[in-house]
Amino acid sequence: MDQYSILGRIGEGAHGIVFKAKHIETGETVALKKVALRRLEDGIPNQALREIKALQEIEDNQYVVKLKEVFPHGTGFVLVFEYMLSDLSEVLRNSEQPLTECQVKGYMQMLLKGVAFCHENSIMHRDLKPANLLISSTGHLKIADFGLARVFSNEGDRLYSHQVATRWYRAPELLYGARKYDEGVDLWAVGCIFGELLNNSPLFPGENDIEQLCCVLRILGTPNEKIWPEITELPDYNKISFKENPPIPLEHIVPDASPPALDLLKRFLVYPSKQRIRATEALLHPYFFTEPLPAHHSELPIPQRSGKKTRQRLQHQHEYRIDQPLEESVVDPELIAPYVMR
Amino acid sequence: MYHSSTQRLRWTFASEQEPGRLRAEANTRVRTKVSVVGKVLPADVSLLEPHEELMICRYYEKKLMEFCSAFKPVMPRSVMGTACMYFKRFYLNNSVMEYHPRIIMLTCVFLACKVDEFNVSSIQFVGNLQEVPLGQEKALEQILEYELLLIQQLNFHLIVHNPYRPFEGFLIDLKTRYPMLENPEVLRKAADEFLNWVALTDACLLFTPSKIALAAILSSASRAGINLESYLKECLEMKDNCEAMSQLLEEIKSIKNLVKMYESPGSDDIAILKQKLEKCHSSELALTAYLKKRKGYEDDEYITKKPKLDEEEWTDDDLADSL
Repeated sequence: MDQYSILGRIGEGAHGIVFKAKHIETGETVALKKVALRRLEDGIPNQALREIKALQEIEDNQYVVKLKEVFPHGTGFVLVFEYMLSDLSEVLRNSEQPLTECQVKGYMQMLLKGVAFCHENSIMHRDLKPANLLISSTGHLKIADFGLARVFSNEGDRLYSHQVATRWYRAPELLYGARKYDEGVDLWAVGCIFGELLNNSPLFPGENDIEQLCCVLRILGTPNEKIWPEITELPDYNKISFKENPPIPLEHIVPDASPPALDLLKRFLVYPSKQRIRATEALLHPYFFTEPLPAHHSELPIPQRSGKKTRQRLQHQHEYRIDQPLEESVVDPELIAPYVMR
Repeated sequence: MYHSSTQRLRWTFASEQEPGRLRAEANTRVRTKVSVVGKVLPADVSLLEPHEELMICRYYEKKLMEFCSAFKPVMPRSVMGTACMYFKRFYLNNSVMEYHPRIIMLTCVFLACKVDEFNVSSIQFVGNLQEVPLGQEKALEQILEYELLLIQQLNFHLIVHNPYRPFEGFLIDLKTRYPMLENPEVLRKAADEFLNWVALTDACLLFTPSKIALAAILSSASRAGINLESYLKECLEMKDNCEAMSQLLEEIKSIKNLVKMYESPGSDDIAILKQKLEKCHSSELALTAYLKKRKGYEDDEYITKKPKLDEEEWTDDDLADSL
């Protein structure tokens, strides 16, 4: 612990307080998540174990927050993460006008790259939501908070808890009490986040679990065996029945979205989990290859932690053009030369 | 992914001598500690030799497996494998004289349950000790006390890759791609036994889980008089790579050898060693470990419930009763 000097408090996580700190030796700013073991009856909380487990085994990825170190401290231990300035929920809250299409694309691309990486490493995050997508000072998006993450195996006989994921982003199979599910729950959440980025408001803002299902059903239509064969096997399927109603075309729900955006959105928000577009596949969707192209991370808003007004970067007001000469978008090294320490 | 795992990078050793060397070092550390403190041991107490420590570990590894197999609700095999691995890793760098294997063993299983998401409550867990409620409570208290130490000693490396999944994978592969073998399931029983034995050896500290799984398959096959060489050549694409093939066979042979050479601790020897161990723990020696551990807790607002007394510790016989 004496290797770090505490700079302040960032917030309270599910299993402890998060501090901003400086690594004395390198001067690097980090986030320290302290896991204290006070409630003696259960020992080390599962959430902390999951987080360590998920993050320790995977190689570094640009789009997943890095667990730099774990060390014991007092009655518990401390997880050291790279420090991140903000998160996507704050970006959404603070942006006065909706994000531009290329900004949305930029975020979606980073999110999908992170999700693809997790899934390739057999990790379901299970709690994707804007607040868990951290934004670095360079505008990069990184997936964080693996407290609910599960390393999945395809054994097919393990039961999982359905009480996962924050309600608005919870996949319909979870709302029906599914205990066997797959990485499709993350892809549903990605769809919800996508919708929220496009609309600047959550797609399915249910007040409680039942209403959550109503919200989904109202838009996607009442599911039946024909479009969702597995539904009859879900534990809570017979417990609740809803009035038949047809789906509302997503064009009406997300009126400003471009046709490719709508097409991609529709591929995430489908009832059968297996039919949801995989992250790697989604990255190849025409949406990302039609103009306007995804924004470079330097063109994305970077809000302050304190929730101060969004500081838009002034230098890069133009839309990112892939056909622009490189010299125009990089800093002239001559200009910064006097300030570079040697 | 195994390739980027902490298991491969940090806990797989290049030679059979390496784990032995680490254990010997751990043994020496305790000896130095005792001599530095300048403690005079009572005449009837003698420190354990490295090979004696290993014997004791072997004994408790077996106990661990028995405890896991008898566990209610039925415990997935991977939990047992993970717990066994934790136990081995812990005693690579620690001595049984300092930390009693009885409680470390239970702590390993407790942690493995959580890490492998085999969700049992702590009450349910100690319920498997079939002790009087008071004894269960004490066991739990000790487990929770040692959990943090364990996770630290494991360097927070929690994920263990067991040979059980690759084993299933090989069976499926044999079924789908190797029609020469009519019913690969015939291999299961003997292979299962092999996997149980191999878990008691150092194999998991030396070889990849898939090679251990393959060794189980091949050992079972050769016992049944089935030659799987063509499977290795054709299906595992070893045909044009003689070097890789002979290397693989060499490793398989080493794994089989570990099982062959494995010596189950004899009950007479164990009785004597356990006596020695208990004496170490009841003497001043145990106290040093305990005090050291307490110190770690001081710099927090943590208040220890009450000093743990040695005579309160539940004994081995209690454990034996529960099995």
